Amino acid sequence: MLLGIDVGGTHTDAVAVKVDQDGARVIASCKVPTRHHDLMWSIDTALDAILEQVDRNQVSQLNLSTTLSTNAIVEGKIEDVGVLVSAGPGIDPHNFMPCRDFHVIDGSVDHRGNEIRALSREQLDQALASCRKNGVRVFAVVGKFSTRNPRHENAMRRAACACDDDARCEAADFVTSGHQLGGALNFPRRIATAYFNCAVWRLFNEFADAGEASLREKGLGDVTVNILKADGGTMPLSQSRTLPVQSIFSGPAASVMGIVALTDIFHDSVILDIGGTTTDIAVFADGAPLIERDGIHIGSHPTSVNALKVRSIGLGGDSAVSIIGDEVAVGPNRLGPPVSLGGERLTLTDCLNFQGACEVGDTAASKQAVERFAEAHTMPADALADRAVEYAARKIHDETRALVDEINSKPVYTIHELLEGKRVVPRKLYLMGGPAQALRDPVFHQFKLSTEVPPNYGVANAVGAALTRTTWELELFADTQRHVLFIPSLSYRENVPSGYDLDAAREDAVNQLVMQLDSLGVRLNAEDAKITHASSFNMIDGYERAGRNIRVKCQVRPGVSATLAKEA
Amino acid sequence: MLKAETSLGIIFFPAFDWAISPTHPEREERLLYTQDQLREEGIFDIEGIGEYKPDVASVEDVERVHFCFPDVDAVATRSHMISAGGAMKAAELVMSGERRRAFAMTRPPGHHAMKVVHGSRGFCNINIEAVMIESIREKYGHKRIAIVDTDCHHGDGTQDIYWHDPDTLFISLHQDGRTLYPGTGFPQDMGGPTALGRTLNIPLPPNTSDEGFLMAVERVVLPILKDFKPDLVINSAGQDNHFTDPITNMNFSAQGYAAMNEMLAPDIAVLEGGYSIQGALPYVNLGICLAMAGLDYSHVREPNYEPERIRQDQRTTDYINKLCDVLPELYFNPPPFQGGDRDGQGVISGDVFTRRKNIYYDTDGISENQQETLHLCDQCRGVYKVETSSSSNPLSLGVEIPWNACPHCRELGHRLVEEAQLKGGGYRYIQLINRKDREYLRYGF
Repeated sequence: MLLGIDVGGTHTDAVAVKVDQDGARVIASCKVPTRHHDLMWSIDTALDAILEQVDRNQVSQLNLSTTLSTNAIVEGKIEDVGVLVSAGPGIDPHNFMPCRDFHVIDGSVDHRGNEIRALSREQLDQALASCRKNGVRVFAVVGKFSTRNPRHENAMRRAACACDDDARCEAADFVTSGHQLGGALNFPRRIATAYFNCAVWRLFNEFADAGEASLREKGLGDVTVNILKADGGTMPLSQSRTLPVQSIFSGPAASVMGIVALTDIFHDSVILDIGGTTTDIAVFADGAPLIERDGIHIGSHPTSVNALKVRSIGLGGDSAVSIIGDEVAVGPNRLGPPVSLGGERLTLTDCLNFQGACEVGDTAASKQAVERFAEAHTMPADALADRAVEYAARKIHDETRALVDEINSKPVYTIHELLEGKRVVPRKLYLMGGPAQALRDPVFHQFKLSTEVPPNYGVANAVGAALTRTTWELELFADTQRHVLFIPSLSYRENVPSGYDLDAAREDAVNQLVMQLDSLGVRLNAEDAKITHASSFNMIDGYERAGRNIRVKCQVRPGVSATLAKEA
Repeated sequence: MLKAETSLGIIFFPAFDWAISPTHPEREERLLYTQDQLREEGIFDIEGIGEYKPDVASVEDVERVHFCFPDVDAVATRSHMISAGGAMKAAELVMSGERRRAFAMTRPPGHHAMKVVHGSRGFCNINIEAVMIESIREKYGHKRIAIVDTDCHHGDGTQDIYWHDPDTLFISLHQDGRTLYPGTGFPQDMGGPTALGRTLNIPLPPNTSDEGFLMAVERVVLPILKDFKPDLVINSAGQDNHFTDPITNMNFSAQGYAAMNEMLAPDIAVLEGGYSIQGALPYVNLGICLAMAGLDYSHVREPNYEPERIRQDQRTTDYINKLCDVLPELYFNPPPFQGGDRDGQGVISGDVFTRRKNIYYDTDGISENQQETLHLCDQCRGVYKVETSSSSNPLSLGVEIPWNACPHCRELGHRLVEEAQLKGGGYRYIQLINRKDREYLRYGF
């Protein structure tokens, strides 16, 4: 039995899902309010409610999506970090300074991973002394091109810890090395990501400790616990302790994976999660969700944290209806709940109630509100309701088109770069969220595309959380002239012979991925590890081939472990 | 966060699946490290800088510019069409106002490709700048355009294409042709009789460093640009003047390139040559991108950059000084057209200008003989005609009716093609470029 908990902005949803050969079945679910100052309480309460309905001995896994790291950053409840960088030539690294204790150390590594200039030991010592004076206990060490050669990051890490291994030390509580965050090239993003990873590390680990203690108390000490990531996958709790930044913005991912679990998506599709205040738009290419190519922004900082590509627009059931000039408009503001639920301002939901498309709360109140509003603006009531609903559907349509155009015009690659260059042409729409059913026809009218509202869409988030699989990716870089193979995220380095080639690199990448997941207790079939990028360049010295420059990217793509069984 | 002072679009097409041969300097690896450097610097995260996919040039886009024998498909691969399409995309970004400036980092390059194409010269098959410029003019009207070619090699192809065009200013800074391929580009080459002074060559001696380049730009190029008042400035941004380039002998640096770009302030830059793919291109391209975006580039430095070691000597400085004294005169007060068949300037007889040329395609090993004729006209640009034969194609004919053709010249152009078809004359292929009516016709296939 799998448990899924999604800690959302207003509610914490939980489900228990049973999986057999027919698929998954939701056997228990609940909703409790989210207490932002005490997330553990919300999780505990939701968990207790579920455990009352099921046999706790059957629980094998708990997947958790939490806003903890996001909130900590948004509210500024983060720890001071010492950020040490080795930048070399290029854009002045002070442009990317995330915090006070930021130190640029002389030294440089080039694009092939050659050390051009050694790290200045003297500056490093001075920088550390300054951090220690400020009481800094966590450090982010980041080098330019460290994903080609982490030599400078390793030197900075050892200096920060004042020791030679990764074991706990007196000099620092935690160090994030840039190259371990992934193999992609982007020095400023690596700085920001390493910084945030350190900044939320202590808070996240205290939360993880409390969570583990609570599970032990409930007799669930042996249950596998995974944390949701923004890319639509999970990571084991043990892993999340050193990569807490990956847990950020995982909310929309739970929704999207929920739709994946509730339906079978094969085509280029659009997912519309229509909530009270906003509508989240996600796009699928060939049945796989698109991700932000480089990673999401945290505050104003671009990071290398992978995330599904989701656009949020200010339009939902609670959006206020207004008249601008001759046009009936909806949103982008929410000015309280619908009139049918005791609000004062006319909302989209009230208009849908008026049309008879849904029955939310006191439909008579909605009817009166629409009539009052229409009279005040001297137009027929049914015209007002129709035009408001039409406006909402058109807005969703236009924003979706704009997103798809943006995806097609910019080199925003899909989850696998295999699809690079492909145009996304949506063939199907999936709607979820409160007003989904009511807006189905108007939305269809705009898009003229097959539109589906799956059953069970009310519990989609938590179902998505429960069924989301572990994802992992790694990048392998080999330079046969320098006889070196390097996998940054694993800090794995190996010597390779001159004859090492792309096929061998592909094989090594898959093997390393499988082994890595195995060490985290995740069983993976080798065929689930997909090579998403593979290239090999001849490097020429004079007119002779001097070696090969090989790059391979391998990943387990986001997905669900089961889809919902078809109702008999 | 960083924000570009001038918005910039970057089109990146490294053609990772195309090379002349595996060990040729113009090969797949060429833009690999540039891409690595730009990504690692996070340049696409800077507000105001965006990355775009290239367009693909159509056959018509190429036929608007070139006479390709036997046809476009025979001389240009898909990579060439995308490279030209990358330049066109850069132009579109600027012309549509989406970006203030654009830099097309595409390969293969194009500035050695001449009006007539039988194959590849100096790694170039079709002239991507010219294809871009003529697509701009087709869509946005006949703009005045200045091309500043900063490739180390003389931009002989671009010079040839615009030899008779008074609305296109072509300035080439390059290593002196007496010491480097293609061996041309001397001050006496100033353009045809109807466009005298619209071509300007600035041959610089080997080992010229930042000082010499920047002096030539400041004292020769900038005053001429100011006077010409172009609608658009285009930089043919070859980067093989770098002190580490393996096939040239100059001493330019990334700092110098960036500073030059800041001075030129081109609307559009199009990558040309540059074969120091590890030691120069990543840094030079980064410097140019930052300069184009109006950002600080003072921290961009090659690993082995020692300004003192590559500084030009006093003799070089004196020589360039003298060039700077005399060259602007060729634009401001060009001497009257003298002509002469022996020095390749051509002769005028009646109202017909004629010039004979022998062209060698070093990359493909093709020899071409051609005779070009321009019918001089008071009303318009005049009909251009070229008869060409080469070791790969028998005698063929190209005729171009200019965009502003008068009724007489328009008719003349059609008549030339008609006569060539009816009376023979032994032309295997005939091509007509009719810019007036936008028709591009081929006969004999």
